[in-house]
Amino acid sequence: MMVYKEANTPIHRMNAMPKIIWAITILILSLIFDNPVVLILLFVATIPPAVFGKIIKEWSFFVKFGLFFIPVIVLLNIAFNHNGEHILYSLGYDLPFFGSPVITLEALFYGIMMGVRLLVILSAFAIITVSVHPDDILMLMLKMKVPYKSVLIVSLSSRFIPTLLSDVETITDVQRTRGLELDRGSIIKRIKNRFPVLVPLLANSLERSVEIAEAMEARAFGENKKRTFYKELKLSNADKLVSVFIFSTLLVGIIARFLGYGIYEYYPVLSPIELESIILGVLLFSMLVIPYVSVWITYNSSEPLAHGGHQ
Amino acid sequence: MNRECGEGIVLTEGLHFTYSGSQTPALVDVSIAIDEGEFVLLAGPSGSGKSTLARCLNGLVPHFHGGKFGGRVVVCGLDTREATVAELARHVGFVFQDPENQLVSMEVEREIAFGLENIGLPKDVIGKRIEEALDTVGILHLRKKHPKELSGGEKQRVAIASVLALHPNVLVLDEPTSELDPQGAEDVLKVVERLNDELGITVILIEHRLDRVMHLVDRVIVMNRGRIIADGEPREVMRDERLRETGTEIPPVVDLTLKVMEHYEPDVLRDGFKIPLTVKEGRKILRPLFRRVNGVGWKPKTHHQTGKIVISIENVWFGYEYDQPILKGVSLNVRKGEFVALLGRNASGKTTLLKHLIGLNIPSKGRVVVCGLDTREATVAELARHVGFVFQNPNDHLIADTVFEEVAFPLKSMGYDNIEERVKEVLKLLKLERYRDCYPRSLSGGEKQRVAIASVLAFKPEILILDEPTRGLDFSLKEYIMKILDGYRKNGRTVIYSTHDVETAARHGDRAVIMSEGKIVIDDEKHKGLANALLFSPQINRMIQSFRRYGVPEEILTVEEALEVIDIGLRRGGR
Repeated sequence: MMVYKEANTPIHRMNAMPKIIWAITILILSLIFDNPVVLILLFVATIPPAVFGKIIKEWSFFVKFGLFFIPVIVLLNIAFNHNGEHILYSLGYDLPFFGSPVITLEALFYGIMMGVRLLVILSAFAIITVSVHPDDILMLMLKMKVPYKSVLIVSLSSRFIPTLLSDVETITDVQRTRGLELDRGSIIKRIKNRFPVLVPLLANSLERSVEIAEAMEARAFGENKKRTFYKELKLSNADKLVSVFIFSTLLVGIIARFLGYGIYEYYPVLSPIELESIILGVLLFSMLVIPYVSVWITYNSSEPLAHGGHQ
Repeated sequence: MNRECGEGIVLTEGLHFTYSGSQTPALVDVSIAIDEGEFVLLAGPSGSGKSTLARCLNGLVPHFHGGKFGGRVVVCGLDTREATVAELARHVGFVFQDPENQLVSMEVEREIAFGLENIGLPKDVIGKRIEEALDTVGILHLRKKHPKELSGGEKQRVAIASVLALHPNVLVLDEPTSELDPQGAEDVLKVVERLNDELGITVILIEHRLDRVMHLVDRVIVMNRGRIIADGEPREVMRDERLRETGTEIPPVVDLTLKVMEHYEPDVLRDGFKIPLTVKEGRKILRPLFRRVNGVGWKPKTHHQTGKIVISIENVWFGYEYDQPILKGVSLNVRKGEFVALLGRNASGKTTLLKHLIGLNIPSKGRVVVCGLDTREATVAELARHVGFVFQNPNDHLIADTVFEEVAFPLKSMGYDNIEERVKEVLKLLKLERYRDCYPRSLSGGEKQRVAIASVLAFKPEILILDEPTRGLDFSLKEYIMKILDGYRKNGRTVIYSTHDVETAARHGDRAVIMSEGKIVIDDEKHKGLANALLFSPQINRMIQSFRRYGVPEEILTVEEALEVIDIGLRRGGR
């Protein structure tokens, strides 16, 4: 459900490098700006690749997960953050530790926007998770000079995630047939009930890791000679150009932030939305969407060729 | 390919090994010399040191598994104590038992590239070798697959391809088929045979099921308790009494021939007698004998259970995904006191069906009633009071610090009293008393399996379900466990187990249910069900089919039954 699936869409066929730079750009932009317009537009910018890549179903799974957290963030924020002038509700007396709790419009709004920020990040990484082959991410890491052993660990963990999940399923089944009721009783009881699942899972994984190590050594892993790599991430000039273009979006954002554009004050009262920040938001939005729109257009205009194309 | 090694490609001299932390030696004075191009079968019961010896050949012992090492192992001119495992990997390819845990990449091509990258070959050479390896093993169509999309047999062939790409001189396979279904096993063994035959690769194969490989190998080495007890040509070793004494499963056709030789004058087999290694040879050699056994009035002993129906499965459909049903309209009734074998290839729906009997799976359509409880209404915990379920891998059962606690755990969680007594009783039944305070995970595979069974038997469920209880076990343990199950059934309880092992199903139990692609295709008393069932007929039955025209009953499944028929037939024939 939430893992990479092979598909022939312009988004899937796009090189991993620009896509990952794109996700990182969105991550950083969403962290340096707290302007509501910018945050909302960043979120909207993650929708076109999901549509073009025909991965709405998988993508919405991540987004729903984010939506579930928004109320939590909002609640925490209004409970602990009492800044702001517009008081929506006041308890009227002091509580130990909390002080005099008030709920302000500003804190509420800030909480919502933090939720949107989370949504932006989740949405961008959902697109990467679903549309980039895990091997491509590893090859990109190698290209960025990450040491092989670290890449291998990442690779092995993702390789064995399905195995681990089926282990969890079987062991849970085993314990259920032994009369263990996982979903009964208080929360503490339920957590305790999980132990019989955890113990064999850890022990199995430990034994498995020894076997994997054996199998790797038996295929000359750890030979001192310099390792070669059969597959490397290939970058065409177009891929490089797109990557640079996306990276420049990040630069535009950072420079704008230093020059003071797109700053937004939540406290003590919500500042008005300025035209500048709308322009900045639209600019960042367009720059983030253009690469996807352009690959989509080229793909559709050369449809008959694309199927016989590379890979 | 590496050409510096000639004859005596594998040599061990006075090899001793004791794992660190162990008192008993795993290998005692093992000296063997294997020539280039030989196909050697390494046989012997579990724990006899076969795997350890195999691991000595590529240096995993003593470099990976530490311990006390004595003597010498020379492979392709390299002393394994001096060479590293990585160096040896270029000469010795190693295929492990578990298909899952030896694949480390997310794509078949990259899996094969892994070893080649490790030894630093240039890209274009790697590309060439990948093609070559895929082609040799016959898995070109799998090149882009993720391991999770592969069947067990396919995974093992990928593992073979991935070591083959390193151009080894020697291929060592440690029970490569023990987790596969018959078809998967055959596919893997065919590949191994070709590598030996056409490419001249020296093969050392560990395999419990001798009937699968006997006819392929040049030489059999039998081990017991860390020592080599027999070494020679297959036909020669088969006649060796010491082989039988180790509890190794003698292929039924061989077993029958040997017993006929023992019980009757050798002339019943005419001259030119030799031990058959395949069903085909068996037909040829035993034909004259069975020709004289005409018109016998033998009938198989059958148990017809008339108890009440305890399991009723009515037209059950089931699938995890809407458009991919795994069970397609399965109906089955099981009576109290029955002992049922559920056979079928992997992914035919056996485990899925068994899980319905305890409510782990709920039918999408249809109905399952077990001991009067409809599984759609009863919880798993309620059903678990009547139904015991032993899963395939005993490791998934084991959670406690001692065997005692392990067996007591389900009793406690179901709220039984006099736990102490119940545990004692079941430990005695399964001969586990002396492991009472041991850590279950430190036991051997067969012992773990017994602990898992004990933990279920302890609460005496009316219905006992086992998912491949004999997988990977050696012959004597298999027989032992099946006898325990038979005894349990005789106390008025019901036993259902799934298996790939037709020979076991032929020897034990009384009913055979064969599944294929989510449907039950055969459901009958075992003699009727397993006779003439092509892939699911036992060896003896496959042989006997061609003797039907002499009046030999076609329901014969086992060696014992064949001997009964011969006995009656020869007596009637006035011998």
